[in-house]
Amino acid sequence: MRLLAALGVLLAPLGVSAAAAQRPVARQLAGRVPAGVVVAVTALADSAAARGLPVDPLVEKAIEGGAKGASPERIVVAVQTVLTRLGRAQVALQAATPGVPPADAVEAGAFALSAGLQDANVQEVARACGPQCSAAEALRVAGTLTALGVPPAEVVELVRQTLRAGGKERDLLALPGRVEAELAGGSTPAQAAAGLARAAAARAAAPGQSGAPPHGRPPPRHP
Amino acid sequence: MTTVLHPLVKRFLDGELRLADLPPELHAEARAAERLLGAVDRAPVTLPAALEARVMAEVRQRVIAPSARRWWHRLAEPWEIRLRLRPWILGPALAAAAVLVLILARSQPPVPPVAVAAAPESVYVRFVLYAPGAHRVSVAGTFNQWDATTAPLAPAGAAGVWATTVALPVGQHQYAFLVDGRRWVNDPAAPMVDDGFGRRNSVVAVTAGAAGARAL
Repeated sequence: MRLLAALGVLLAPLGVSAAAAQRPVARQLAGRVPAGVVVAVTALADSAAARGLPVDPLVEKAIEGGAKGASPERIVVAVQTVLTRLGRAQVALQAATPGVPPADAVEAGAFALSAGLQDANVQEVARACGPQCSAAEALRVAGTLTALGVPPAEVVELVRQTLRAGGKERDLLALPGRVEAELAGGSTPAQAAAGLARAAAARAAAPGQSGAPPHGRPPPRHP
Repeated sequence: MTTVLHPLVKRFLDGELRLADLPPELHAEARAAERLLGAVDRAPVTLPAALEARVMAEVRQRVIAPSARRWWHRLAEPWEIRLRLRPWILGPALAAAAVLVLILARSQPPVPPVAVAAAPESVYVRFVLYAPGAHRVSVAGTFNQWDATTAPLAPAGAAGVWATTVALPVGQHQYAFLVDGRRWVNDPAAPMVDDGFGRRNSVVAVTAGAAGARAL
């Protein structure tokens, strides 16, 4: 894959970009990234599409690199990294749930991986989610918790216990805010997540309790 | 006034019966009817020339022209088409059809894979940055294709505080602030992830919950 990307950068001055410019991905990137990057990202997008992976994250990453003034090589590597993560997320989701994983779940899985979760963690979150919730939402929450500094094991446990306690999607979505509230109170991310997971487990053990905590502080708004 | 004639009298008038064949009580009625019939002018009716011309002109207007009628029949009537092909012509014919399909497919405007339409649900999110000494601050991210010109922040009351409110579609977005057009700064109040370019992006997840949309 790296060879493919490098080839794209090298072939651009030879006129290959003219053909690539006719394509939708190339049209989106035209004028926002160097011509060599257009060729390379188009090739990577073709590869993604052939594997049933979403193409938008690749285009977005390339545009981001262009906006931030990154070098062409760095942009291609960053896009390639996104593609790799999308592929890993797809494999993890396929192992966790039957059928073809939806594009938004794959994208959310790639985000969770970029935040610091491992492939096995993505698989565990998707499996804990099952058919009762959106794997994409659960993975976005898991990724956000990881980005807040919660260790992967605690992230998985918190999501799992919340769902076991009968938590709905809105309860999952409230988790980052509740963790932040605990952080504001002086807890570490791991302590905050572990405490919330224990509380959820206690609710799961007590029949008739809903997934939401009875007296939770309202989640703070970001940013 | 209408006179109803006896059926036997009608047959007499039609010449089917003679007067002698009729019962005597019908003789008077038969003779009266014969007199009335004799008084009727049996000459052929001739219409005024102007009326005839007007009627015929009207009729000609409504009649479909023969050529149009022929075409209508060709369209409406089923056709019988006999096609006799030599087997060797099938190959080139299929190839030509495939080329035609390809040309038509390529002439269609390609649909970009990225949906650029605004999401049906969006949430107003306020971005705030403390950047003392800055002359210009904007926010760019996945929600505006990293175009820093679309969402500038304005000084917001306290010295060094910049803020703006942006309508974000439901979903997860990564962003960063651009200070003075050259320095990318993270949002210290938001979770962060590696951006792949040696820096970090801030993350905002915009969700539409049961009680309305909200930002995580």
